[in-house]
Amino acid sequence: MLHAIFRPPVNWRHRRFRYGLVVWRCLNCGAVHQYATRICRRCRSNRVAEDRLPDRARLVTLTVVKNPPVSFEKQAPYIVGLVEFEDGTKMLTGITDCEPEELKPGMELERVVRKIAEDGESGLIVYGYKFRPVIKRR
Amino acid sequence: MRRVYAAGVGLLKVDERWEQSIDSMVTQVVDGLTEVRPWKIDSIYVANAVGEVLQSQANLGAIVAEDLGLVGVPAVRVEAGGASGAAALLAGYQAILSGLADTVLVIGVEKLSDATPEEAVFLPTLSERYDYVGFQGVTEAAIAAMMYRMYLERYELPQEMVAQFPVLMHEHASKAPHAQYQFKTTLENVLSSPIVSPPLRRLETTAPADGAAAILLCSSDALSTIQHEQVVELAGAASSTDVVFPMEREDPLKLNAAARAYYEALARPGISRDDVKVLEIHDSYSILASLILESIGYSELGASGLDVKKGIYDYGGKVVINSFGGLKARGHPLGATGVYQAVEIFLQLTGRAGACQVDGARYGAMVSLSGLGSSAYALIMKER
Repeated sequence: MLHAIFRPPVNWRHRRFRYGLVVWRCLNCGAVHQYATRICRRCRSNRVAEDRLPDRARLVTLTVVKNPPVSFEKQAPYIVGLVEFEDGTKMLTGITDCEPEELKPGMELERVVRKIAEDGESGLIVYGYKFRPVIKRR
Repeated sequence: MRRVYAAGVGLLKVDERWEQSIDSMVTQVVDGLTEVRPWKIDSIYVANAVGEVLQSQANLGAIVAEDLGLVGVPAVRVEAGGASGAAALLAGYQAILSGLADTVLVIGVEKLSDATPEEAVFLPTLSERYDYVGFQGVTEAAIAAMMYRMYLERYELPQEMVAQFPVLMHEHASKAPHAQYQFKTTLENVLSSPIVSPPLRRLETTAPADGAAAILLCSSDALSTIQHEQVVELAGAASSTDVVFPMEREDPLKLNAAARAYYEALARPGISRDDVKVLEIHDSYSILASLILESIGYSELGASGLDVKKGIYDYGGKVVINSFGGLKARGHPLGATGVYQAVEIFLQLTGRAGACQVDGARYGAMVSLSGLGSSAYALIMKER
């Protein structure tokens, strides 16, 4: 039986993006990279600098994973969707704390850090970003 | 200018082959090429997408060369996700055009029945960026479902406009002895099959399949020295790439890599798309059939479903798509699929397609994708 590979160095390498949405933005065209890069993948400029995506984004579209891949068996069905930040950057994300029927394209979502998966009984517990409907605070 | 020919083909019925491993499937399919003699192979390309994950078997070049009793012949595995077979054909085509090879054996082989259902979902998703997609439990089917929803909303279409593609594919496969699913189905069945990721239904996707197919490619010089029964010219081949994540493309519903590869391939023999009467397309999800046909210009945007209703893509229409059932019903043994597509065009152009025969076709073409169009391959074959 295969399982998704959550190696500690990989998890460590991606920690700033996965926990804080730290990205690498092209200063020429604005394209966002989820990994440290020295060349923009859209315009090939080498003016790329660290940036952070906002904590809120709007929902573009969504679906539900009913047939899960390995290591996500216990979570299905779960919602995944596409969100768009105010700068136009689109991002794939898990969506949590709601039912699919509560979600409408255009609605505002906020970022939370959640458990993503666990690597067997003795392996890593992997955390990362998900989005949820904005909770109104008084 | 050198020319490239296909002088022999072989394929196995796409099936769950519990008693066979990769080596056994390869030897069986190549044994089927007995019409071509003698064996003098300059190079072997083995297409396989996930063998090193699922069978823990990499280095299929050397392994297959030995399996075939061809130790000494240069051999390499080619991996390009679901388009591995087409990528291997392109490599073989380039090797012959370059003059460095006169005979090239291209084999596609994949064995997915070893996978659990969760692994069968995991493996195609390897073609997307793992650190961004697979890491979150997002599947390739889920991304296809989002493209599907976007398509229905943009063109304000009912789902049946897309969901009728599988019905047509099963109709074609019902006459194809090598197809995995030779039963017919109805629109009602498709639309009431279990949801994979809404709106995508089970009968709009493929299922785990084992398969192997092979083609012997040769130059015109080699053609005069080998015995063969039938020949087809590989008249053009090309590939292109696109932004990997479809939603980051300028238009997620436009498969630009497919369009670029297709028109570049057509340009080699200098023909137009209307000259093609047999077309194999990569319908691993029903929505991809719509997007490919619209992206390469056979249908207006949003109109491929209407064109299916008009019979344009069926026998007697403008161009017959997936005459043996396509990925949907012939089956989708990932890395072998592109080679199946080419073998099927060969059978059509040599009049050996049996009950699936399309009459009067001089040109056949195929479009093969990896991921959701992040790379695309196109091949044009010509009757000789």
